[in-house]
Amino acid sequence: MTGAHVSEEQADEFAIGAMEPEIAALVALHVNDCLPCRLIVAESRRVTAGLALSVRRARPPRALRGRVFRETGISRPGPFTWAARIATAGAGLAAVAVAVAAFTGMVSIRGQVRDLRQENVGLQTQINDALAQDVAIKAVTRRLSEAERLSSEIRADAKDDRALLLAILSPESEIAEVFAVDESSAIGRFVWDREQQRIWFVASGLPARPAGQTYQLWVNAGGRYVSLGTFNTDSAGFVRYQTWAPPTIESSENAVVTIETAGGVQERSGPSVFVADLSGFR
Amino acid sequence: MIMHAVVEGDQVAFAALYDRYVELVYSTCLRILAEPAPAEDATQEIFVRLWRKPESFVPERGRFLSWLMSVARNRAVDELRARGRRRRREAVPEDDQDLLATIAADGDDPEQRAQVHEEQLLVRKALTGLPVEQRRALELAYFGGLTQQEIAVRLDEPLGTVKTRVRLGMQKLRRALQDRV
Repeated sequence: MTGAHVSEEQADEFAIGAMEPEIAALVALHVNDCLPCRLIVAESRRVTAGLALSVRRARPPRALRGRVFRETGISRPGPFTWAARIATAGAGLAAVAVAVAAFTGMVSIRGQVRDLRQENVGLQTQINDALAQDVAIKAVTRRLSEAERLSSEIRADAKDDRALLLAILSPESEIAEVFAVDESSAIGRFVWDREQQRIWFVASGLPARPAGQTYQLWVNAGGRYVSLGTFNTDSAGFVRYQTWAPPTIESSENAVVTIETAGGVQERSGPSVFVADLSGFR
Repeated sequence: MIMHAVVEGDQVAFAALYDRYVELVYSTCLRILAEPAPAEDATQEIFVRLWRKPESFVPERGRFLSWLMSVARNRAVDELRARGRRRRREAVPEDDQDLLATIAADGDDPEQRAQVHEEQLLVRKALTGLPVEQRRALELAYFGGLTQQEIAVRLDEPLGTVKTRVRLGMQKLRRALQDRV
């Protein structure tokens, strides 16, 4: 110390810590009560603080912060903590946002799937309806076809009936009563239309032949029976069989209906069922 | 001024002050004590004392940073002396490249951090501009906790020479750091 005050050189030595401890203690005592010397020392400290700043920076462990705060009894979080919490909260919010976005995306996807499923259900319903309508249409078509077939059959029957009726009314036709060989209740007629060369065999009460059997119509021409074809009855036991008269046969003694094997035979061999006397024909 | 709030017992202000300066304080203590554990203990004690006796800082006596660095240095040197094993850091503790090494600016206060960073670079440049003998004398005193007499003995130099080196070194640093730090 120079006199009663601290010189700049002494202040530097004091500030940098190079002063002997006893002298440093005296300087410290003086500085406390001397503003000018205190300013000089402060200036020296400003310079020596620069030495501290030159030190390579080392980061203290994070646990030190907790130790200091526990030691000081500080409970309120500082900016660092708040920043950390805000960062954590931000990260949490970000995570939540991502989760919400993902959830929203999932909800959106689920919604789309649900809509697609509903649309699929609607389409399936429409398909089912269309299929049902198609089935109905097919059923109607089938019924129409059946009706058309029946109508066609009816028309054919009507046409045959009309032809038979015309044949019966025709002066060129000949009609012979048909008799059952046994004592059945079956009755019938044999009609030969000479003009059209058509022959009808009409009968009712004739039992249907079982499978593998058929009725076969014959005419006797010169002692030889000529087949005029085979037929069967309907469920009511009615038959109206129409065929063309062979051109080689001009007359016949009688006609016979026999029971033959299905498909008919060349020569009559089965039992006779009906017999018609044709001797009166021209 | 953040210290005004600390004097008022503002815990948030103290926490902010801690986060702003702990690295500087810890680095200084570590530089002097050379071991992390005692450096941590010294740093803890400095900040705890700062919280309990914030009035020890008198603004009229200088900037807070200068005062805090002085406190940190003195506390670490006291510890060094108390342990009875003076860590003589005179063996060129940091070469010029280290002194000029870029400092990672990763603090929590970018503005303050940038200011300290700038001042740190300025000091390092000033130190590297000093003659090796002067810089070594300053470092032995400041970081080694040695008195000028002890430095003279250590370096086997006359006490007057050491005094001159310290004085010249301080003057050059003062000029380099004029209006800064």
